[in-house]
Amino acid sequence: MSRAAELPRTVTRRPDFTGRALVPLALFFLLALAFPFLPLGARAEYLLQIAFFTVVAGVLALSWDILARSGQVSLAHAAFYGLGAYGFALLVKVMPWFLAMPLAALIAALLSLILGAVTMRLSGMYFAIATLAFTEVVRTIIQNLPESVAGGANGLLVPALLGGNARAQYFLAVAVLLLTALVSLAVRFTRLHHAFAAIRQGEETARVLGVSIVRYKLLAFFISSFLAALGGVLFAGKTFFINPLETFSLANSIAPLTTSIFGGLYTTLGPILGATVLRVAEEILHNSIKNGYLVVYGLVLMLSILWLPRGLMGLLRKGKHGGDL
Amino acid sequence: MKKMLLTGVLLALSGAGAVKVGVLLPLSGSGSVSGQAARNGYLLALDEINRAGGVLGKPLELEFADDGSSPAKAVPEFVKLVTVDKVDFMAGGVSSATSIAISGPAKQYGTFMAWIGAAAVPVEDAFADHKYFFHYHPWSYYNFEAILGYFKTLKTQKKARNIAIAYEDGPFGSAGINDTVAAFKKAGFNVVMTEKFKTGSGNFGPIISKAKAARPDIFYWVGYDTDALPLATEIKQQNLQVGLVYGTPPSWPVGFEKNQLADNIAGLSLWLPSSPQAESRKFVAAYRKKFGNVTEEYFAPLAYVNLKTLAAAINGAGGTDKDKVAAALAATNTPTPFGPLTFSKSNKTQYQGFKAGNWLHFQFQGDSRVPVYPIKFAQKPMVWNK
Repeated sequence: MSRAAELPRTVTRRPDFTGRALVPLALFFLLALAFPFLPLGARAEYLLQIAFFTVVAGVLALSWDILARSGQVSLAHAAFYGLGAYGFALLVKVMPWFLAMPLAALIAALLSLILGAVTMRLSGMYFAIATLAFTEVVRTIIQNLPESVAGGANGLLVPALLGGNARAQYFLAVAVLLLTALVSLAVRFTRLHHAFAAIRQGEETARVLGVSIVRYKLLAFFISSFLAALGGVLFAGKTFFINPLETFSLANSIAPLTTSIFGGLYTTLGPILGATVLRVAEEILHNSIKNGYLVVYGLVLMLSILWLPRGLMGLLRKGKHGGDL
Repeated sequence: MKKMLLTGVLLALSGAGAVKVGVLLPLSGSGSVSGQAARNGYLLALDEINRAGGVLGKPLELEFADDGSSPAKAVPEFVKLVTVDKVDFMAGGVSSATSIAISGPAKQYGTFMAWIGAAAVPVEDAFADHKYFFHYHPWSYYNFEAILGYFKTLKTQKKARNIAIAYEDGPFGSAGINDTVAAFKKAGFNVVMTEKFKTGSGNFGPIISKAKAARPDIFYWVGYDTDALPLATEIKQQNLQVGLVYGTPPSWPVGFEKNQLADNIAGLSLWLPSSPQAESRKFVAAYRKKFGNVTEEYFAPLAYVNLKTLAAAINGAGGTDKDKVAAALAATNTPTPFGPLTFSKSNKTQYQGFKAGNWLHFQFQGDSRVPVYPIKFAQKPMVWNK
């Protein structure tokens, strides 16, 4: 059976795509690339650091969203993020960083196939619990490797990416976000979109319609974890240090989820916007309400999700055709 | 009073060009208990320094920043303090992960660091080549050195031979556990049990049963405050006969000392409000006057000592030149609530303040923590239950 024949006629038609839909995304990346050159005065270096972590948050959120499009609400993102970080820390000892980075992500992506295969029949909260358990298993394994290999519970020092040059690190992070956005668009505007959407809306129906559930679910896992692992590499190379407890923390699985929901699920621009708005809002609150800023931040996030069920993208797309970015 | 007022007015008028110290602390997040305690210590020291004439004839200024116990927040906050707020010196630092994360910018800007926490060995590696890094808190290997020293005394005095170890399976409990076991064995102890537990699980039944069968002289546990009460309950319920129960949580549960189950459990601290040194008594009195209570968190006096010694070094250097201040701080020799403070080399860094000998061993007796070792600081004899 050809790949085209796997999908029903009604959904094999490619989604509407117009160059105009790319304008906001292109503007975002232009601004992101221009950011270090803006006349920001004394605050420039500080804002560059914030921008770096915002971009990494965007990578994680968007990579999580790509998996979610196939109906798999994963809590294992911390595992792939951590595997990327640890893989990079170990590989960069024996090869240049530009090889260690993709190889670490590839290893994480290949390992994600194990999780994908194991959880194939699970859905809903059972799937979420299984992915959560996977993160714990990976953390335990890493922690119990010989200390000479992975640092054990103490953690590992990681060589600085690009010699610690903050501007170069930022551009590298933007490049990874751009790659993530391009992959997201590729998923959005090819038949993968229909396959993922069909699986999300009902596996039995999708199967009857000829969609290879196994293939597409594993593909979603592979793509998502590869990109999340790149995010882990960026983080590790920036903070110079990783340890099992913090790297595989549940927070690293929850943050991409909430960011995607806040920005707008199943879109490319949504998770990126979500990461930008949330990180900037958090920083402003952090600087203006020294004590208890997290309470305000949590309330704002909660109310936003309640009032904006389709996230920020729901606001932007109001009254428009929904088949854009 | 008039003199103080006059000093204050003169200091306020001469505020321009004041020395600014950035203080990076976990004021929120997992390390916030220590971070908030440290903040109070800094504020108390700041009051005293400015009342005594400030630094270089001008009022000292503190710029606090919250690292949120997270490396991703610590890096921008550190860069902001150095580049936007243009602080002359940096103080603070509790978490090891956040301290390592800022080691890159610290080296890039050549920042002067007077650091109070971050005891993990990777921090020592990260700052090994930084010539302006002054570390006050003992490194983690000094902590164990202190414990081993105490246990060796118990071996001599109480014929303690057998140690049972229970440790939490996270980084805090598991880090270096193999080295710990090896060190106990090398010191002539029999490690009769080594069991890990999940912190916060509250289920110590099987571990205490196993410990009973192993008949240890010392039950040594490494976990968090949440484990203290369930563990003490299980020990009581199963009537574990052991000479000493010794724990090393980063902090003890609030009010634990009031609970009868805490009786005779021992632990480690850099400082206690009941510490007998004159400097400690002065600190307690000043703290009570300013805040209306007394803290048991040693990060408060540690931060106090940190700022007072840094200010003294700046005054001693006669300016803010980093090399001169470093030389003045390196020459510090002053009494503190922890004992005398001098800086000397550690395994990898140039300027290490407190070491193994600064740790106190205490025991919960009655309703308080009582220092029981070293003997010169002991206020009551240790209770040995065998």
